[in-house]
Amino acid sequence: MDNVRFLRTSSGGEPFDDLVAQLPKLLAGSARGDQRAFAKLYDLTSARVYGMVLRVVRDRAQAAEVTQDVYLQVWREAARFDPDVGTAVAWLLMIAHRRAVDRVRAAQSATRREDRYATTQTERPYDQVAEAAQANLDAQRVRRALDDLTTVQRDALQLAYFGGYTHREVADLLHIPMGTAKTRIRDGLIRLRDSLGVNGEQQQS
Amino acid sequence: MSSSNHELSTLTGAYALDALDEAEHAAFEAHLATCADCAAEVRSLRAAAAELSRTSAAAPPEQLRGDMLGTIGSIRPLPPSADNLVSLRAHAARRWRWQSVAAACVLLAAAAGVWGYQQHQDANRSHTRTAAITNVLDSRDAASVTGAVATGHARIVYSKAAHRLVLIGQNIPEPARDKTYQLWMIDPAGHATSGGVFTPDSSGNVLVLASGDLTDVTRMGISIEPAGGSRQPTPGAIIAEMPI
Repeated sequence: MDNVRFLRTSSGGEPFDDLVAQLPKLLAGSARGDQRAFAKLYDLTSARVYGMVLRVVRDRAQAAEVTQDVYLQVWREAARFDPDVGTAVAWLLMIAHRRAVDRVRAAQSATRREDRYATTQTERPYDQVAEAAQANLDAQRVRRALDDLTTVQRDALQLAYFGGYTHREVADLLHIPMGTAKTRIRDGLIRLRDSLGVNGEQQQS
Repeated sequence: MSSSNHELSTLTGAYALDALDEAEHAAFEAHLATCADCAAEVRSLRAAAAELSRTSAAAPPEQLRGDMLGTIGSIRPLPPSADNLVSLRAHAARRWRWQSVAAACVLLAAAAGVWGYQQHQDANRSHTRTAAITNVLDSRDAASVTGAVATGHARIVYSKAAHRLVLIGQNIPEPARDKTYQLWMIDPAGHATSGGVFTPDSSGNVLVLASGDLTDVTRMGISIEPAGGSRQPTPGAIIAEMPI
């Protein structure tokens, strides 16, 4: 069921998360204007960034635009990444998520989004079998953790993260009392965090 | 912790998922700047949120990579903003922590205001401003000073007891290319400590929240500095001074 594909074209055999652990170094290189470091950073992360953005904005052209904005911001602001406030991956995805959400909320205020379903498949063949397998395993791990949540927790998380809805809108969509969605979101994220063993410190994963 | 603070503390999850509306966002960020527990929780929940993106990975269009690499050559990476995090002289352990209250700015605001400073890009919404002021500066000793800044004016509302301030600027002209505004905390001896740099939004509005120790500060100054800010105010560059 996975459509997970990565852009990487190098044939490095490192597990994805080892590469993710390199991000702080790649960010530091980017901050000094090292375009190769930035290219590598892009290769390592663009599938997660683009895929998430696409789920949120549901339109490939817009997802590409947002993704480009995200990486240009990362290039400009790489020096301002502060490891004290979380991992590089979390920082990058936070930037991306915020931009994606801004995009759909802006669109929402103009006209309701068309409900095109996100067909996230891309036609490009996936040639990095080992990485695809690793990415699949990682995705499965997260999916299993999601499965362990209550239905309301899971729905609330997904609507907020991938739907780009505020917790009030989530409450409306799920027909739960105002004020309940935010606690379900928090409880769900805490459970997810604990079951995945992430804490926002560097060298996690 | 007051009950309203307790209420705010339950918003960590929604905040980590960008699921707050603007007013809540402003209130929460103001709270976050003063609540280490919330900041730690937000950090960990952001990490959990980032994991969700593993379930949606998809290859971006092929040409995006080339477009991007072709573009970045003409974009200069910004210097670190560490200057904005210098400790106040008399209180070496404390740091100024800047916090945007702008929803539009959360990108930069990252977690817990450790990003140095933030400029506010959408300060003309009165509810945002109101939330910022009422939520951050409801301290009993809150006071305010105003001053002209070029063709606009700035008001700084501050509380020495709560170690907080809000800078609100209106009609502040865009600084020249490669220049930025910088806020300074000045003690009786004239020593200036950077409080961070800021630029107005396209409508000339500025809204910045900060927390830090104001005990020895007797004046706040605003100068125009080279982009990225300076360690000390450039001589003659201070364009506004407000005694507090």
